[in-house]
Amino acid sequence: MKQLAVVLLLLLARPAAAAEELVSGVSQDTIQITSNYTGSDIVVFGDIEGQQSAAGRDIVVVVRGPDTDIVVRRRDRVAGVWINHDAAGLNGMPSYYFLASTRPLSAIANAAMLARYDIGLQNLQPDSVHSHHDYEPFRQAALRHLGQEKLYSETPGGVEFLSDTLFRAHVPVPASVTRGQYNVEVFLFRAGAIESAQSTPLFIDQTGLERRLYNFAHNSPLTYGLAAVLLAVIMGWMSSVIFRRPA
Amino acid sequence: MEIYLPIAEMSVQWLVILGMGFGVGFLSGLFGVGGGFLLTPLLVFYGIPSGIAVATTLSHVTASSISGALAQWRKRAIDFKMAGVMLCGGFAGTAFGVWLFAVMRRAGQMDLVVSLSYVVLLGTVGGLMLNESLAAIRAARNGVPPSARPLNRGWIQALPLKARFRKSRLYISVIPPILIGFAVGTLSAIMGIGGGFILVPAMIYLLRMPTSMVIGTSLTQIIAVTALTTLLQATSNYAVDILLAAILILGGVVGAQFGARAGDRLRGEQLRLLLALLVLAVFLRLLWGLVVTPPDFYSVSLGA
Repeated sequence: MKQLAVVLLLLLARPAAAAEELVSGVSQDTIQITSNYTGSDIVVFGDIEGQQSAAGRDIVVVVRGPDTDIVVRRRDRVAGVWINHDAAGLNGMPSYYFLASTRPLSAIANAAMLARYDIGLQNLQPDSVHSHHDYEPFRQAALRHLGQEKLYSETPGGVEFLSDTLFRAHVPVPASVTRGQYNVEVFLFRAGAIESAQSTPLFIDQTGLERRLYNFAHNSPLTYGLAAVLLAVIMGWMSSVIFRRPA
Repeated sequence: MEIYLPIAEMSVQWLVILGMGFGVGFLSGLFGVGGGFLLTPLLVFYGIPSGIAVATTLSHVTASSISGALAQWRKRAIDFKMAGVMLCGGFAGTAFGVWLFAVMRRAGQMDLVVSLSYVVLLGTVGGLMLNESLAAIRAARNGVPPSARPLNRGWIQALPLKARFRKSRLYISVIPPILIGFAVGTLSAIMGIGGGFILVPAMIYLLRMPTSMVIGTSLTQIIAVTALTTLLQATSNYAVDILLAAILILGGVVGAQFGARAGDRLRGEQLRLLLALLVLAVFLRLLWGLVVTPPDFYSVSLGA
């Protein structure tokens, strides 16, 4: 506690002439998936403290889902039939990636800078790859498919300024998102360099009945399986009784 | 009207799912097939992950089969001795199928094997049934009295271990029913189907059981095999979505009752003609999917 106070004191005591500071937040720190969850919209907002000038500054908002392994298969024609012939496993790709920025990324910073901070869909690289060939076409296919499912997106102009220093971005979270810890990262760029950055965790989890069913299925699979069979038996039998015709 | 499925981890229009369950349940009551071969592709087409679709379809098949089987049982149209003999092979086949499933998945050719088995099986079975039922209908129209059931011929009659199946009025070896049960059990585990569309023709054409007995008996066999496979899928893959199953079953059991009623008004060969056309339609759809150039050569799966 004491240490924290010291750190805070140091931060507050910094001279006013220091570089611009980013303060950002998220409208929700958890998203609860309930039975009527059909996707939701969160708002990332922030303020630039000690802004030097409104010109030449850019904001980039990135929301990253938990890492996952993606398998991409390519179909080829073999003996007249289209079959999965080749596959690549891309390990350690984000299960969700949202990016909004004030301007197109290429106008904000150079390619090396963006690549260093994993900013932009084209800079998403797997930690490891299982593939016999060049995996780039498979990576592009993954970006395209996840883009269609609204799990990957990049929106230049998605960050809007409400005043000189106050900004916000809407982040759509589709119903098909993976549960787990998400990270909301906000970057302040000036003249192609990162001036300030802030990261906030966001938790997405199931709740209520959904949570209990999920836990049930994974913690006691045998009982769960028996329950599923029993459900089928009872419902089948009940309908037969209800709809029974006079013999 | 959307609802979130906890295991599939996605939200669906529950009315659409209910309608799918009803439609497939209707056909299952009508023909005595479980309907898995229709429901699994339907669910995958709707966007349910294929693993979940295969496993969850099985419990739908269990329920509508029970509903249908009870209706047949009241008509005393189940040969329990025959069903019991086939199940001996069925359980062994299911275990073998689950093992085979794992081997093929490691080899990375699961999709191809499933598609090809569907196409070969549905094409063969559908073609045979279409041919036979058309011949029967033509014979009936020409005023030829429906011939007595042809006697068993050839190798099936020559097999040892004969037993009397009084309900089916058969005296045959137990080996063919056990083999049929084994084959269907294996296919059930691999393809996520009850196997009715193979069982029904196999019982009619190979075992020469009376059509009136075939539906109830095959449903009984399907109930046991799908219940076992549901259990295995739940314990090994966590792939059974009980909420999805409940919606499908609700539609399915009601549909099965209506189907069984509609079936009373149709004659045996007409039923077989309709089932043949249905099987061939699914066959053509799957063949199309295998042969036509796909719009996108790549497919993507997460968390595999």
